[in-house]
Amino acid sequence: MLPFLLTSGITTGALYAMVAIGLVLVYRSTGHINFSHGELFMLGGFFAYTFHVTVGLNYVVAMLLAVIGSFFVGVASDRIVYRPLIKAPGLSMVLATVGFSFLMKGIGRFFWGGKGEYLSIKPIVDPAPLWIAGIPILPQQLIVLAGALACMIMFTIFFRSTLAGKMMQATAENPRAAYLVGIKVEQVYTYTWGAGAAVAGAAAVLMAPLTLLSPDVGFTLLLKAFAATILGGLGSMVGAVVGGFIVGITEALAGGYIATSLQEVSSFIIIMVVLVFRPSGLFGVYGIRRA
Amino acid sequence: MAVGLVFLATLPFHANPYLLFVGNLAMLYIVLTVGLNLLIGYTGMLAFQNAALFGVGAYGCAVLRVTLGLPYWLSLPAGGLIAMIVGVLVALPALRLTGLYLALATVAFAQFTLWVFLHWYSVTGGPAGIQMHPVDFGVLASTAEYGLYYLTMAIMLAVVALTWNLVRSRIGRAFVAIRESEVAAEALAIDLTRYKTIAYAISALYAGVAGGLFAAMLGIVVPESYDLFQVIAQFAMVVVGGIGSVWGAVIGAVGLIWVQEALRAFKEFQEIAFGGMILLTVLFLRGGAMSLIKRHIKGWDEPLRRIPRKR
Repeated sequence: MLPFLLTSGITTGALYAMVAIGLVLVYRSTGHINFSHGELFMLGGFFAYTFHVTVGLNYVVAMLLAVIGSFFVGVASDRIVYRPLIKAPGLSMVLATVGFSFLMKGIGRFFWGGKGEYLSIKPIVDPAPLWIAGIPILPQQLIVLAGALACMIMFTIFFRSTLAGKMMQATAENPRAAYLVGIKVEQVYTYTWGAGAAVAGAAAVLMAPLTLLSPDVGFTLLLKAFAATILGGLGSMVGAVVGGFIVGITEALAGGYIATSLQEVSSFIIIMVVLVFRPSGLFGVYGIRRA
Repeated sequence: MAVGLVFLATLPFHANPYLLFVGNLAMLYIVLTVGLNLLIGYTGMLAFQNAALFGVGAYGCAVLRVTLGLPYWLSLPAGGLIAMIVGVLVALPALRLTGLYLALATVAFAQFTLWVFLHWYSVTGGPAGIQMHPVDFGVLASTAEYGLYYLTMAIMLAVVALTWNLVRSRIGRAFVAIRESEVAAEALAIDLTRYKTIAYAISALYAGVAGGLFAAMLGIVVPESYDLFQVIAQFAMVVVGGIGSVWGAVIGAVGLIWVQEALRAFKEFQEIAFGGMILLTVLFLRGGAMSLIKRHIKGWDEPLRRIPRKR
């Protein structure tokens, strides 16, 4: 049972890590937690469903379109929510993103849900498990893992070696200094929101064939991503990835060995325990930041 | 004001049962929103746990009344007290946290509470919930609906009056000082721990009592009533009415209950309306409906914005 639980934990953990990366990306450059991040995931999944199942496009094409769609939703949230409130107190920003998340959830329910039914995307590969060294692994799990790793590697290369990535890092580090050296800070913010949303969308596309899509999936994923970021230390990219895997594996193990119902609740317990005992998380880069 | 009170007091005599229910619901939400506003609007703490404590009060009241057989007049305040105790227990670790960390911790707590409601079968009855016994008001009211209506009204008036006086007292000024700057408040010898705990306790007590009333009103306590949508609904009432204003909370509660009832059959439109209203208010009218009232009605002022004159 352990290998099976571990593989499923690692797979979901990879998805949590991807959602958490987007959350941290936006947090690092703007100092705000985007409470509507989960809804970007939800919409990404529904975009993929529309393109793949309703329109009938090829999975890879649908995936790319869904990621692009999510990117534009992220850009829209920058324009609608973040930019007008850039100088407002933090409380306003949280309230605005919470409101925006419900707005998107309602829109998602209007177009794709609302009847209590779940949408599912058929697995694109043979659903029979492969036996690798005596461990049953679903081919889709491998695709998810490969996709998640590819995304993370692309992100690392992007930040390390491209000009745009370096601009984003500079803006996150010190917006004023970045502005002084000629970086168009506002544009960087826009791309940051878009990129965060695109990763969430990519995670949704990868996950869709494994589970079901519903308008309420966003908030669930948001909480897992919170758990991952808090565990890793708010603001740490490596921490978010490690935290994501830990949350995924903990969930699978708690669900498998103790009680199935614990699977849903373990991420809340992780958030509360970490915040009470070690608010800076495992890799807290900023220590206890009193934002 | 007087006209409004007379209207409220006589509503049971000229309204149909549905309108009476909506009126009752609106008054109950006034209690909730005024309490939440103390926490968010006055003390400036971004806490998401009120909906969960609303549920704790409802479940506390229902368990005491149905499982242990206590009378309603005892189980209602007891439910409120249980919510207050849980609220203070949440406050203790939460006092160390501010801003985003507090928001995240209380979001997790709210979801955890919901999970407990769903899975603690022996006490909460799981997803099926607890069926309440009808409340018997004896000679005080002819039917349970009328009795509950007047009980809610009395509690609502007491809560508004109490809060109105509280925010003008030393405690209310301490809350606002904490909101404006914790460091400055401490420098003025305001005990942060004490006043924050007071804010948590009062809003938890209000939420718990409202929960007990809600349980009796619906006749059933089920986990779905206390989910994320409840959090958003209460946020929307505080924000749209006017953050940091007792009367704003009243206006927000009444107005948004009306919206919620008008869209009762369409969950997606409720979500769009509530989310959209929060967003639009934060973007374009930060003070909510109250800022409009202040701008257009001369002489209307809220305590704590007015500079006290020396006598």
